[in-house]
Amino acid sequence: MTAITVHNLRKTFQMKRKAAGLRGSLRALWRPAYQSIEAVRGLSFAMEEGELLGFIGPNGAGKSTTIKILTGILHPSSGEATVLGHVPWQQRQDLAFQIGSVFGQRPQLWYHLPAADTFYLFGKIYELADADLHRRIAFLAEAFEIEELLETPVRKLSLGQRMRCEVAASLLHKPRVLLLDEPSIGLDVVAKQRLRLTIQRMSELEGVGVLLTSHDAGDIEALCRRVIIVNHGEIVYQDKVSALKRRYLTVKTVDVRYNEQLPADFGLPGVETLKVGRYGAKLRFDTRETPVEPVISGLAAAGSLADVTVSEPSLEDVISAIYERTETESG
Amino acid sequence: MFRHLPFVLALWKTNLLSAMEYRVSFLTQMVGMMLNNAIYFVFWVIFFARFEEINGWDLVDMFFLFGVVATGFGAGTYLFGNAVRLSSLIAEGQMDYYLSLPRPVLLHALASRSNASSAGDFIYGLFSFGAAVFYTGTFGGMMVLRFALGCLAAIAVLISFLVLVQSLTFWIGNTDLLRRNAFNAIVTFSLYPITLFDGTAKLLLFTLIPAAFIGALPAEFVRRFDLMQLVQICAGSAVFLFLAVFVFYRGLRRYESGSAIQVRT
Repeated sequence: MTAITVHNLRKTFQMKRKAAGLRGSLRALWRPAYQSIEAVRGLSFAMEEGELLGFIGPNGAGKSTTIKILTGILHPSSGEATVLGHVPWQQRQDLAFQIGSVFGQRPQLWYHLPAADTFYLFGKIYELADADLHRRIAFLAEAFEIEELLETPVRKLSLGQRMRCEVAASLLHKPRVLLLDEPSIGLDVVAKQRLRLTIQRMSELEGVGVLLTSHDAGDIEALCRRVIIVNHGEIVYQDKVSALKRRYLTVKTVDVRYNEQLPADFGLPGVETLKVGRYGAKLRFDTRETPVEPVISGLAAAGSLADVTVSEPSLEDVISAIYERTETESG
Repeated sequence: MFRHLPFVLALWKTNLLSAMEYRVSFLTQMVGMMLNNAIYFVFWVIFFARFEEINGWDLVDMFFLFGVVATGFGAGTYLFGNAVRLSSLIAEGQMDYYLSLPRPVLLHALASRSNASSAGDFIYGLFSFGAAVFYTGTFGGMMVLRFALGCLAAIAVLISFLVLVQSLTFWIGNTDLLRRNAFNAIVTFSLYPITLFDGTAKLLLFTLIPAAFIGALPAEFVRRFDLMQLVQICAGSAVFLFLAVFVFYRGLRRYESGSAIQVRT
């Protein structure tokens, strides 16, 4: 069943423009100038219930604006969208009972109070019975490994601990869809990894669908099966993460080391030689032009192999390349 | 509406818990505001020591007036503390939080903060009402009921007025200065004897700056029952409440959110 449908969604903001300095301020006072900024330009996509969908793009790509429209925070300029059968900006309250949201830059936990106090407040907001709320908090505390943190004032938690509490709070009412906007922003590698694992576990346990926006490709790679890449408010790529890798991760880099010295003119047909040393070399080839097998057998035939490492570019590099390509195409 | 009562009570409880995290600050602000009000009232005591009355208003009327206004202001800005910072919430994109949860946005936003100093206003107002009762010697259940009703009307009109003024943020951007001026105006005019004003000035106090609905009208009603005043109080409260809710939700459609890093306190 489809959880989210978006069709030709657009959002335009009016931005006030002003030249720098006093003269610019005076001119803006007398004759203010406005510029229309299209944050979202005709987005169309769908997300199934229980799906983990990545929504990735650089700063200002329109990710957060889209999430805010889907939660009912913003009204779109035009287009259609439904979340669990509700039009978000028309049925905001009914929808909010069925979805959860976490905005990395906008905490929902009360800063001076322990997270448990916000959890109990959320229990009232979502009209949960006291016994159910206690059971739910105990379950989430265990799943998110936050039992020891619940009674500590939020201001004293680390960013990673706070974010786990934030996501747990958004799941208190067992939402069917979770909208996560940059949940890993500012987290270190370990905290990111822990958060990703917990989100994945909750999705498996409760079947909650997750629409995850991030500018960190690692989040998407670790969590999502499908990815939508947006830039300048438009979708520039939409497919499975595995297809993205297959399609774009075709360039391989090979680091090879031999037990004997290499000739100065060391090389293989169809393979670019990046660097040659006395006992080793660094090579690059594109699998669309040169298959892996002749390269490996060529390397083995060239001498007594000590070590071979074949690596591919990170998903981050691939996405950067996609952004650059769209920038070039759009002029 | 009653469906939201448990949620609002939970919100007020959370506000109290948050204030109690810094109880010394809470108590200092509360006592400070009580002293501030008492010092201000001394001016009227000195004034009425020299002049018996102003167009029929005497010191006992002032006790009733301060009783209703301080209790109404105190309770209003304690229970709906964000009423004095709604313009910042709108301009800085902080309404996102309230919009993402399944409760009425305006009620949720207003009740999500308590001002510690308002508790001082509230307690001072009760003392002032106690003093008025002591001087008139007319204490009774009906007077307490009239006082409660007068304070409720003061809360409704004050909060509605603040919401109306700050809802302009949706159309004209930052209204922080306007909000401060409007707040000062309504506080100042509600604490003056209504008999000082007539004609256009009086009309303004019932419309543009509805201080009469917060101060003089309920204070007179508390002192002695008048059916016409009761009707005026109820009608004024209903009209301002309706206008505030209507204008706020019309403006909310224009809300543009924001990306500033925020903290919930």
